Amino acid sequence: MGERRSPSRALLRGIPITVWMLVLVVVPLGYTFLTSFFQVEGLQIAAKLTLKNYALFLTDPMYSGILLKSLVLALAIAMLGILAGYPLAYMLCFRVRRGKQALFMLSIIPLWVSYLVRIIAWRTILGNKGVINSALTALGLIQEPLSFLLYNRFAIAVTLTYICIPFVFIPVYTALEKIPRNILEASSDLGAGELRTFLNVVLPLSLPGLITGFIFAFIIALGDYIIPQQLGGTQGIMFGNLIWSQFGFAFNWPFGAALSFILLAISVTILSLTSRFGTTEGGFISE
Amino acid sequence: MNSRRKLGLGLKSYGFFVYFFLYFPLLIVLIFSFSPTKTMVGISGFTLKWYRELFRDENLLIAFSHTILIGVGAVAIAVALGLTGAFFVSRVSFPGKSIFRTLVLLPYILPGILMGISLLVVIKALNVPLSPFTVLLGHVSFTVPVVMFQVMSRIARMGPNYQSAAMDLGANPVQTFWYVTLPMIRTAIIGAALLAFTVSFDEIVISYFLTGTWMTLPVYIYGMMRYGLSPKVYAISAIILLLSLALIMLMSRYTGRTAEVYRVRPRKD
Repeated sequence: MGERRSPSRALLRGIPITVWMLVLVVVPLGYTFLTSFFQVEGLQIAAKLTLKNYALFLTDPMYSGILLKSLVLALAIAMLGILAGYPLAYMLCFRVRRGKQALFMLSIIPLWVSYLVRIIAWRTILGNKGVINSALTALGLIQEPLSFLLYNRFAIAVTLTYICIPFVFIPVYTALEKIPRNILEASSDLGAGELRTFLNVVLPLSLPGLITGFIFAFIIALGDYIIPQQLGGTQGIMFGNLIWSQFGFAFNWPFGAALSFILLAISVTILSLTSRFGTTEGGFISE
Repeated sequence: MNSRRKLGLGLKSYGFFVYFFLYFPLLIVLIFSFSPTKTMVGISGFTLKWYRELFRDENLLIAFSHTILIGVGAVAIAVALGLTGAFFVSRVSFPGKSIFRTLVLLPYILPGILMGISLLVVIKALNVPLSPFTVLLGHVSFTVPVVMFQVMSRIARMGPNYQSAAMDLGANPVQTFWYVTLPMIRTAIIGAALLAFTVSFDEIVISYFLTGTWMTLPVYIYGMMRYGLSPKVYAISAIILLLSLALIMLMSRYTGRTAEVYRVRPRKD
């Protein structure tokens, strides 16, 4: 715009960010993709192209089973995130007058509270000698600790939902705030109750925010491996753990790269839905 | 009207429940950090023993200083790259711009395991040993989009008119940037830097893949967690919790949601 006079200077300004992008985004992701066609020979990675890694994923039902399980869990977590985050955003937007700013902060603060601290908190609450079990035992309601609380998919779902709530809240809130108030008044003047206004006016107009929040929660849940490791126990092995193990004791980097690329392809495909149906605004925590 | 009120009441109690769900776990961490014993029963007592023990743990203090070092370094680089990048993407049109934007955003929105592994694979292929430098590289990958997108959204709301006006009045590009543009985006830069620091301070997944023996605080705590949750873990968690709350409060002063923060003051005459 203002720079039209010297296009070459303007392009010069793009060099640092382009170099950064090539070095830290394009080359690493590209090279990982390439590695997914390599193979392990002994303890060395041999640069001989093969489709073996993808074939292994497709033929062994264990791997696709874990992926399917992770997709289902991520879907459930994203829905739980919506269930918690949407009403919160709605309440804040339409039902609260006093202390709105404070409640808004209260809703997004957990976003920046340490990830590890939140894991520690939930392990403390759900553990065998944890808060819930101790309280129930003290009240005399149970004799044996409830073992279904920790080291399973339930614990993963609770903790990841907890993490995802602000990610759902922000885009939904942004979308709700944008709805012109006179549309709601018009709907009410024409005789619609709050529920009807919500279903016919508010919900459709907030759909982009809803989809963005859903997608963010889904991707976070799908890619996480530390929470399954810390709270999932043996039945909680998720796709992220499978990838991780290839770089640890399994020592099969090419196969791990192939699994990473599958996760990347799923994530990018889902993210591209945001740009079509959702809104990138507000999803990224900006102003 | 009555049903509307009932609905409102239901909504508010549900909202209260969600807030309880969000903050109860954090409260638990705080309580346990002061508890003499590991279980709930010990709530009766109060001790600062675990905090004292933290300060005796030399490795933990070293890991803490590493985290600060990486955070400051990554933020400095991210501000430089993010700022030039934001102006480039906002002001220059070129083919494939939306793909460019997406690629920049990827390190921030992709699952950490993907970025961590991709960087590790390249670093190993180049035979570069893992070091503080590789950790820094990892942190630069996701802090740059944080800064760049915050500044971009400010530039977008500012519009090009102020710059054009300054140029028309005879200011050169440097003067325009220094006296017009920079004051208007200053708070966005500070807010973005604080946000980037907070994200870097907490990052575990990418650091875990790119660190050797040189540990950052989250990597060190993660190691502690393998042997069960010791009271010391709660104490350091509580400190981190309060530190991040302080950072957030500071940040919210700069990235205020109100447009007034950056609006140019009306002239008196």
